[in-house]
Amino acid sequence: MFDKILIANRGEIALRILRACKELGIATVAVHSTADADAMHVRLSDESVCIGPPPSKDSYLNIPALLAACEITGADAVHPGYGFLSENARFAEILSEHNLQFIGPKAEHIRLMGDKIEAKKTAKRLGIPVVPGSDGAVGPSDDAMAIAKKIGFPVLVKAAAGGGGRGMKVAQTEADLQIALSTAANEAKSAFGDASVYLEKYLQKPRHIEIQILGDGRGGAIHLGERDCSLQRRHQKVWEEGPSPVLAAAARAKIGETCAKAMREMKYLGVGTIEFLFEDGEFYFIEMNTRIQVEHPVTESITDIDLVLEQIRIAAGGELPAKQSEVQIIGHAIECRINAENPQTFRPSPGRISQYHPPGGLGVRIDSAVYQGYQIPPYYDSLVGKLIVHGKTRAECLMRLRRALDEMVVDGIETTLPLFRDLVRQDDIINGDYHIHWLEQYLAGKVEPAGK
Amino acid sequence: MARQPDDKAAAKFSSEDSALVRELALLLDETSLTEIEIERAGLRLRVARNISVAATMPVPVAAAAAPALVAAPAVAVPAAGPDLSKHPGAVTSPMVGTAYWSPEPGAKPFVEVGSKVAVGQTLLIIEAMKTMNQIPSTRAGTVTQILVEDGQPVEFGEPLVIIE
Repeated sequence: MFDKILIANRGEIALRILRACKELGIATVAVHSTADADAMHVRLSDESVCIGPPPSKDSYLNIPALLAACEITGADAVHPGYGFLSENARFAEILSEHNLQFIGPKAEHIRLMGDKIEAKKTAKRLGIPVVPGSDGAVGPSDDAMAIAKKIGFPVLVKAAAGGGGRGMKVAQTEADLQIALSTAANEAKSAFGDASVYLEKYLQKPRHIEIQILGDGRGGAIHLGERDCSLQRRHQKVWEEGPSPVLAAAARAKIGETCAKAMREMKYLGVGTIEFLFEDGEFYFIEMNTRIQVEHPVTESITDIDLVLEQIRIAAGGELPAKQSEVQIIGHAIECRINAENPQTFRPSPGRISQYHPPGGLGVRIDSAVYQGYQIPPYYDSLVGKLIVHGKTRAECLMRLRRALDEMVVDGIETTLPLFRDLVRQDDIINGDYHIHWLEQYLAGKVEPAGK
Repeated sequence: MARQPDDKAAAKFSSEDSALVRELALLLDETSLTEIEIERAGLRLRVARNISVAATMPVPVAAAAAPALVAAPAVAVPAAGPDLSKHPGAVTSPMVGTAYWSPEPGAKPFVEVGSKVAVGQTLLIIEAMKTMNQIPSTRAGTVTQILVEDGQPVEFGEPLVIIE
């Protein structure tokens, strides 16, 4: 087991990692920019090293500074959290070259899943269902219409060099295809410098359902069920829950085993999440994230498995925490990501938190690094904290969530708490009847607010 | 200053080590020595007259071979002094690493208290991952305080010297 872990991150996830280290009796090193000198995890860690000025590229992304911090503190492992360098294969390799353990997957798997086209090919090869598509770029000499017909309309024309929801055009019927192809190619050329496009089946109202997996790096892997993350704004998840309101046990077992089997074949090491679009009972692979995810507490709540702790144990050569048959999904959990933003315009609202009261009670968890008097720096993301609520049933969970949201106080800055107080009272949300476009439609006023 | 483990170092200080310290302290009293220093695998120990025993951190295995220490400069380093990073004469560290005041072990230090320095003049070396980085002065004037010890780990923004 490691003696000392350097936490290469900030904010709530850095505090989360610190907690797991403390439970395992591992010494902690907090690295921070000058803007984060008063961060809670810095105050609680055994040692701290200031690694640079506020900009991320000079601090949290500064690999030489991180290595130097490992050297002067004698850390033997680095936990990268999420974002920053967590999916940087080169960083993982550099650490390895310096005899430091990267708490995460093997560099080759980070690299493989980081390339979206390669990831899709790999998924397909491993038997994971993918979005039907053109299997590569569609050029001027290809019979685009034939390919599109084979996929089935409507189809999505996507820029090969795009990503994050950019560079996509829908062709609803055959008549739309030519225009969609040429506009997509032209826009791709000017936006990304590459006119290559490919085709995929367009899903009208899919849900985003992802499977959490855990691998021991030696060919053993289990799945820990799903999270439904359909409520998104500009491709950012806002509310996540598990289990998904629309997935039955049999479907969960089937997709879960498909993912776990693929991870066994890869000899995947550590935590990972395989993301799907789900429509009409079918799963379609989008991508795999080779790190701990923001919404991991949802899975922890329903399986009672500490994912960050297990990450550390597995990275140190440990065994998986359970056999697949021992993993149980108990009750229901919902997570709300509370941001320092105006709840209508979503304009960022950094500043000093003058009053802070987190809700408590049975089944209520707050993963946050803020405290009363804390000054949210303007240089990083706007996440104030995550409110995670658990209940024996989804109904109980919603009831508890409503109470917890009403109880929570964050004054001095604007937050998106009012948005969640509205959402928890919406019929569609209460019924679990939503999809990946729902939230944006709601915010644009296209969905009728339920009374209050 | 980078916050260091307090309990951790003490915890690794075994009863064997404390017996050694006692012996060294006795030796100091019996002889006319003012300072004794011992280094062996995992421990570097310095006992000096009129200053409390300093137990340094165990030498990390991955670090470059630590240079043999010469007698420390006459100015004592305050254990936990006021925050001097805001002092107008402070030159702070631009990087993370280990500070060395001499170009190589045993050589004369780049500067001492009283040295007159110009902007851009090398003050010290900060070593990180076997790379020696010469750190230039951002101020001109006279060195009035040296704030870190030779071989001390430093963090970004840590005050190194006061130049007035």
